[in-house]
Amino acid sequence: MIEARNLSKRYEDNVLALDDLNLRVNPGEIYCLLGANGAGKTTTINIFLAFIEPTSGQALLNDIDAARNPLQAKEYVAYVSENVMLYGNFTARQNLDFFARLGGKRNLRKDDYYQAMQKVGLPEKAFEQRVREFSKGMRQKLGIAIAIIKDAPALLLDEPTSGLDPKAGAEFLETLTELRSAGKAILMSTHDIFRSKDVADRVGIMKEGRKVMERTGDELKHENLQHLYLDYMRGSVNPETEVKAND
Amino acid sequence: MIRDIIKKEILDNITSPKFVFTFLLCTILILLSVYTGVANYSAEKKEHTASVALNRKNMESRRDYQSLASGIKINKPPQVLGTIVTGIEEAVGRVAPVNIASDPNLIESKYESNPVFAVFGALDLMFIVKIVLSLFAILFTYDAIVGEKERGTLKLALSNSVPRDKFILGKAIGGYISLLLPLLIPVLLSLIILLLAPDLSLGRAEWSRLFFIFCMFFLYLSVFFSLGLFVSTRTARSSTSFLVLLFIWVVFVMVVPKVAVIIASRIKPVPSIHEITSKKDAFLRQVSAEVNKGLPEWIQKNARNFPRDQKAAQEMIMKYVKEIQDEATTRIDANNAALEKDYQLKKKEQQNLAVNLSRISPASALTFGSMTLARTGVDEYDRFLSSVRTYKPIYTKWINSKMGTTISVLTGGEQVRIDDMPLHHLEPENLSSSLYKALPDFSLMIGMIIVFFAGACVSFLRYDVR
Ligand SMILES: Nc1ncnc2c1ncn2[C@@H]1O[C@H](COP(=O)(O)OP(=O)(O)O)[C@@H](O)[C@H]1O
Ligand SMILES: [Mg+2]
Repeated sequence: MIEARNLSKRYEDNVLALDDLNLRVNPGEIYCLLGANGAGKTTTINIFLAFIEPTSGQALLNDIDAARNPLQAKEYVAYVSENVMLYGNFTARQNLDFFARLGGKRNLRKDDYYQAMQKVGLPEKAFEQRVREFSKGMRQKLGIAIAIIKDAPALLLDEPTSGLDPKAGAEFLETLTELRSAGKAILMSTHDIFRSKDVADRVGIMKEGRKVMERTGDELKHENLQHLYLDYMRGSVNPETEVKAND
Repeated sequence: MIRDIIKKEILDNITSPKFVFTFLLCTILILLSVYTGVANYSAEKKEHTASVALNRKNMESRRDYQSLASGIKINKPPQVLGTIVTGIEEAVGRVAPVNIASDPNLIESKYESNPVFAVFGALDLMFIVKIVLSLFAILFTYDAIVGEKERGTLKLALSNSVPRDKFILGKAIGGYISLLLPLLIPVLLSLIILLLAPDLSLGRAEWSRLFFIFCMFFLYLSVFFSLGLFVSTRTARSSTSFLVLLFIWVVFVMVVPKVAVIIASRIKPVPSIHEITSKKDAFLRQVSAEVNKGLPEWIQKNARNFPRDQKAAQEMIMKYVKEIQDEATTRIDANNAALEKDYQLKKKEQQNLAVNLSRISPASALTFGSMTLARTGVDEYDRFLSSVRTYKPIYTKWINSKMGTTISVLTGGEQVRIDDMPLHHLEPENLSSSLYKALPDFSLMIGMIIVFFAGACVSFLRYDVR
């Protein structure tokens, strides 16, 4: 459903942000992308959304090349960004309504909106409240509700839990597993090593634009992901052999 | 989908605090300006009627035509659309004295009688549109695109299969509607005021003019609207966008019109009045010198042909003197006329250059265009003045004929009769020729809108939404 093939990106200032990235997320799978700041996670997601063009390689959504047919490809994907302010003058429901319509959902009723917001744990009194008065965490939840209501087969989440308190983070993971059971393919970039270990079907670690490690959820049951992550960040493990060993 | 975007844009705008602020300010300013315009016009009209009556009474009370020849006054009637576009009505004189001695000119402007008006200028609707509403147009678009980027909503919106051209078109339409909304009520109320004001009988032609003036107002606002949209797609931060727009606004509204005048006076200099006068004087001296030199020469040359009779000789000399004096006068008059014509031509050329140069600013185009349509511009005054100047010889002829016939009656102390005096008449400029004159201004604005809007669309297609 979500697939990167030999994806590379060199920015105008010659920074090689992505170097031959390959990854694949099947329906019903959660893929967690770990990596330090500047590793290339956001770049990857932006290429899938055709916000930037890849230098080489392909980003496929439902086998449609996002760079070639962006409009078609985006029908299959919902997106949650790291920090979205949304429309401050609108209520939560009005925001949800607008983006649902852009996502092609035009016949929704009030209850559908309320349900989606309930699912992500927004308090009921916030439904008809102006988003201007929302905390970062509440906005993030609303952003997730927006992604959910589009009901797309693929989800691209760029550090969705970054503004959430621990309880909200836990609730969010519950929502994610629900979505997985509904058959969605989920690609999520995150810094949350512990939760990734709990929820991910697959974890990839990125460093300087390259995927230096990939493990399945089962494999991680016998390993300490935090140690692995720090080892790779320190560069004490040779990434090349690791990746090959995994492929 | 585009309807959703339009709807969202309108809702987003009208729920923002700036909307309430804009609405209140627009309502107050527009109504205030139209109200003062109407009040001013009523006062001017009363004053005009009174002065015309007074002039007539004045003329009729004269006891001889001689004193009539020394001057009558033609009053320029106020333009009814001056209520909306004051133009140069207040700066230019409203009275043209006509007398045998000199060329008619306009005197007694409002500014002359109350110079404080000149400092602040008129608060007409055109001014409100030019200065205040154009700023509102910027206020409604400066963050159209860049603001969505800052809020992260641009990424979120474009993560859906929304074509970018539809997105910006929807935003433009929605934004434009939201800009017009706060204008709707005050404009309607103003029209009602214009419709119901007792002294203001607008004819069909005036209503059409009003319609075109409002068209021009909306085009002008659209120029700044599309400019705002354009700049909002060329900047990465809304504060930058606002500053850039403010800078362009100042250049368009404040700088260009003034600089255009300066540049025009450099490129096409007009000789000063002093220069003209000294040239006239020089020619006068030259001709008199020629005459003075010519007389002794002529006497010497014709000495032998002089008749014996002294009286006859004197007559012959007198005849000669009269001949050369007449000739000299003709030459001087012709020279003066040529100098004057040249001066007027150069002045007109400079004026046209200044107008055309300043037209790169939509604010100037608005000023000239709306003045032309309201008939309160420079052209209208030129027309009035030249009509008075054509009237002058007609009047002179009439008064001369009167003076010839009534010298005998003079002593009788009978009052003058002015029933058969030819009246000054100014054929008002018709709508089509006003429209023709305003065509460059219309085209300029439309051209700018197209360029800015196309620019906005093109930049947005490549805009970095991150
Ligand atoms: N617009 C850009 N122009 C140039 N370099 C960029 C741009 N955006 C990101 N980068 C660089 O690309 C690399 C990857 O960035 P990013 O994908 O944002 O990382 P992450 O999301 O993993 O923190 C970084 O070195 C960053 O500096
Ligand atoms: Mg990032």
